[in-house]
Amino acid sequence: MRECVRFAPMIGARVGELTPGEAKALAAHLAECKGCRATLAAFEATDGLVAESLLARANSRDFGPFVDEVMARVSGGREASPAARGGILAWLGGHRRAAAAALAPLVAALAVLVYVRVGTGPREIALLEIDAEGEAVTVLQTVDGPVVLLSPGAGS
Amino acid sequence: MTRRSFALALAAAATLLAALPSAASAEVPVLVRVIKGSRQGPPRLDPRLEDLKRQLSPLAYVRWEQAQEKRFDLVTGKPAFVDLAGGEVAGVTLQERRGDTITIEVALVARNTQTRLTVEKGQRILHQLTAEKDGESLFLAVMAWP
Repeated sequence: MRECVRFAPMIGARVGELTPGEAKALAAHLAECKGCRATLAAFEATDGLVAESLLARANSRDFGPFVDEVMARVSGGREASPAARGGILAWLGGHRRAAAAALAPLVAALAVLVYVRVGTGPREIALLEIDAEGEAVTVLQTVDGPVVLLSPGAGS
Repeated sequence: MTRRSFALALAAAATLLAALPSAASAEVPVLVRVIKGSRQGPPRLDPRLEDLKRQLSPLAYVRWEQAQEKRFDLVTGKPAFVDLAGGEVAGVTLQERRGDTITIEVALVARNTQTRLTVEKGQRILHQLTAEKDGESLFLAVMAWP
């Protein structure tokens, strides 16, 4: 049994893995030990089965149309893009960063436009824009608009 | 799809840009009225001047009557003239238009006085035309999009 423990790791070794001395000792042990011969027989019976199985499965798959199938899937993905499915909104949903980058200048321009045209009330505009040349005038600002009065005592 | 989106955005921007100059160059209809204010007599407001009541009421004159009424379609930079009693002439010129905001210049030729005011749609410009004489004075009321 002690011999079996020693030679068990050597059973099933491939060619070249054992030294000539180990190979000779293993052969002598196998000639005397029935259990180790059974173990060797089991090894030899199952050796290569996994590799053969994997190879068989690989061979069963036809890789001929592999490239065509990949290209078909790639083009199929394009056709099923959000843009194709739902128009601009879907495209924006699928390209949020690009959409944000593209829309940011437009939003900024609109914000400036709204600020310039809506941000200042009519009173502020009228007060800021009053400009007179020649005779001095007095301006009264009312809700309905400005009232411009000539300076008192001016000749007519 | 990217190209289509870009084209749509470009079209929208072009439409917006095209609308601005066309709006700025359009004619602006204005109602110009010459009003006489008097300190003497019983207080009275010409019914045609009812819309000017809030601008007229702070002034010292108590009797208001409309003397003239004219309508013009003002084009930017081209003055419209109103003849006044005594040979005086008042010129009204549209200086600039930005949407519902316009800048109007009122020029009194004999006095060599020009006043530019910017108002929004719905507002009126009330401008004194002549200095007070015998308790009376003339005013010009300008209203765009009457």
